[in-house]
Amino acid sequence: MTRHIVGPFNRVEGDLELGLDIEAGVVTAARVTAPTYRGFEQILVGRPALDALAIAPRICGICSVSQSIAAATALRAIAGIVPPPNGVLAANIAHAAENIADHLTHFAVFFMPDFTRRAYAGRAWYEAAVAAFAAHTGRASADILPARARLLHILGAVAGKWPHSLAFQPGGTTRALDLGARMRLSGIVEEFARCFEASVLGVAVDVLLELATPEALAAYAEETAGLLPLFLRMAADTGCDALGPGPGPLMSFGAYPSGDGPLFPAGVYEEGVGASPLDASTITEDPSHAWMAGKPTHPAAGDTRPDADKTSGYSFAKAPRLAGRPVEVGAIARQAIAGQPLIRTLLARDGGSRVTSRIVGRMLEVARLIGAMRGWIGALDANGPYCADGPARFPDGAGSGLIEAARGSLGHWVEVKSGRIARYQIVAPTTWNFSPRDEGGVPGPLEQALAGLDVGEAGAEAVAVQHIVRSFDPCMVCTAH
Amino acid sequence: MAVTETFYDVIRRQGISRRSFVKFCNLTAASLGLGPLAATQMAEALETKPRTPVIWMHGLECTCCSESFIRSAHPLAKDIILSMLSLDYDDTIMAAAGHQAEAILVETKEKYKGQYILAVEGNPPLNEDGMFCIDGGKPFVEKLKWMAEDASAIIAWGACASWGCVQAAKPNPTQATPIDKVIRNKPIIKVPGCPPIAEVMTGVVTYITTFGRLPELDRQGRPKMFYSQRIHDKCYRRPHFDAGQFVESWDDDNARKGYCLYKMGCKGPTTYNACSTIRWNNGVSFPIQSGHGCIGCSEDGFWDQGSFYDRLTSINQFGVELNADRVGMTAAGVVGAAVAVHAAASVVKRLTTKTDA
Repeated sequence: MTRHIVGPFNRVEGDLELGLDIEAGVVTAARVTAPTYRGFEQILVGRPALDALAIAPRICGICSVSQSIAAATALRAIAGIVPPPNGVLAANIAHAAENIADHLTHFAVFFMPDFTRRAYAGRAWYEAAVAAFAAHTGRASADILPARARLLHILGAVAGKWPHSLAFQPGGTTRALDLGARMRLSGIVEEFARCFEASVLGVAVDVLLELATPEALAAYAEETAGLLPLFLRMAADTGCDALGPGPGPLMSFGAYPSGDGPLFPAGVYEEGVGASPLDASTITEDPSHAWMAGKPTHPAAGDTRPDADKTSGYSFAKAPRLAGRPVEVGAIARQAIAGQPLIRTLLARDGGSRVTSRIVGRMLEVARLIGAMRGWIGALDANGPYCADGPARFPDGAGSGLIEAARGSLGHWVEVKSGRIARYQIVAPTTWNFSPRDEGGVPGPLEQALAGLDVGEAGAEAVAVQHIVRSFDPCMVCTAH
Repeated sequence: MAVTETFYDVIRRQGISRRSFVKFCNLTAASLGLGPLAATQMAEALETKPRTPVIWMHGLECTCCSESFIRSAHPLAKDIILSMLSLDYDDTIMAAAGHQAEAILVETKEKYKGQYILAVEGNPPLNEDGMFCIDGGKPFVEKLKWMAEDASAIIAWGACASWGCVQAAKPNPTQATPIDKVIRNKPIIKVPGCPPIAEVMTGVVTYITTFGRLPELDRQGRPKMFYSQRIHDKCYRRPHFDAGQFVESWDDDNARKGYCLYKMGCKGPTTYNACSTIRWNNGVSFPIQSGHGCIGCSEDGFWDQGSFYDRLTSINQFGVELNADRVGMTAAGVVGAAVAVHAAASVVKRLTTKTDA
């Protein structure tokens, strides 16, 4: 057996290191390390409750709106504020824009360039892959980065500045969108939809959403020009359809609230077992293999105390568990739990989540969000309020903000005493997916997805390792915060 | 020969046309507040001078600076500047990985000794021997010092590298430390903000790589061209401040009328940045335009100055004293406690001038 260190990884958000044990060309064990820590949960304690709205989002410059909304949701729960419908809609529109932007960056800038590695030279599609996905020079960057920048004008319109927007409050959003602003939002969404359809899908959004079986998806991949069909053809040829099996359960906290419940519901889905409701009271964070002191606890009672000398630790991330089990989070989980037919049939075909289905899940989600954004913009009430008043003094209490960021379930658990933060615990999406081992030695989702991988002579350099790691779209700055 | 390669060679190799290149020079000269002659000088410099390599390193940070940068206003500017940078080293977007990437650093250090620019996003934590930010098996602070040794100048991107930012907030668990406290023998330009405005970042990097020197800096090490005015000085809501018209709660009638956010805790009067002129997301908006006050994210220590939602009680920057008193009194008549600051300022003034009071 040889032990390899892979990393530092490029093209992921933040720093990531991976330890691989390889025996006879097969990965026997993987250990994922989040090597940076800043101490947000320690810094937040003692500050005025509402200051969490400015501090907590700065955990991550990539998904800052998600962090803002989680903080606002937790504070809202404690103060008992009910935001008006406009405030919820405006936050949904901004949040969807950020999540779509994240999915696109991941696809074009982080994930796909691995198909242009020399290891694939000689494949029938190699030249097409280089033309489309070579870092910086490929067509995908040229098409998608400007489209993404224009989409993020939505954040400008709703929230003034991005990253680290300030407009998201417990009472709703601070800017009332006048008719002109709403027309601009519609224009931005339509322009984006056209670019996404022309460059990525090669078909209309509705055509993609009608595909309901792996066979229909394969036919679409063969018949269509576009970046997604190209990926699907390459994925089939390189075995990505079977690569990187997830841990089993897929989890979502539910995304994009409305009066009729969230657009993508909360829940758990496991292939072969089916759907079940989410019981957030069974969540624990286990520090046994982290450079952290303490015992496994629910985040509402947890704390974060670094212990840099702990010999059993190999990451700054604690290990989150749902009812004692590691779960996978992300677009694929949201879509599976929402009953998206193509994702359900892909999961059934493959026996659970894989590299290909994770990518397909993101692109399906972008397609669904375009329609949802049209609806939300149309539903804004010109004369209605955007922000409800909170109590004059922030009340004591505890609450949680359980939401979905692009990469999966994000939870903020907050306790306020005498107007000040007494406890603040955060569990981010990649904390779930890139969790270290727990007390029982059970590896996290990525660690499980890599175990058993046949790397052959390439060893730790195998491109498959890169595909699997990036298929989860890790955000390491969130993971340990 | 790679050594004599110019930026223009690189830009053309990336498939960017001569016409686009000239447009870029004009655009950049304009955004830097330089005259039309500067566009010609810039074009000439980029065509004739050997290109300056830029190494972009990440310490303890949240990647918001990179996020801001890659969405800079003009797609053309982004393409050209990214093609300048991508040649070398950037953790987040570069094509190279692992050992290959480390090799680029070694090569740059040797080949461009004393010539390359080191751009740093984030900062090094010093507690536990630097162990809270490990990069390639070594504490980031070591990698930073090692790369800084042979750099010609250092760009400190954002509030983290410039001042410490929120990870340095009390109790600063990791002892996150700004760059200039660790590197003391190199010119450092601070480009604060959380994140800095994209156009400010591209302007700074273009100026340095084009002219081979840092732009004029203020006493705190910030480029004067972008940080010499307060948000308040050029805020489009300023007339409402002067008229004593204030928002009292989020989305109230006054908010819809676009009144001043001072009472909601706006830090615009004490914050030096270009948000109210350049604005954000391609000039679309900025925080005050979205109905929320400025939190002063480009100022040193903004994270430990009391609540972001408390109103400032220490502003004292009216150019004309008479003006301050008059504004204070008029507004006090209209909105009562709203102008406690001005009233307080006036009292201080009286106490200091009339010692027998």
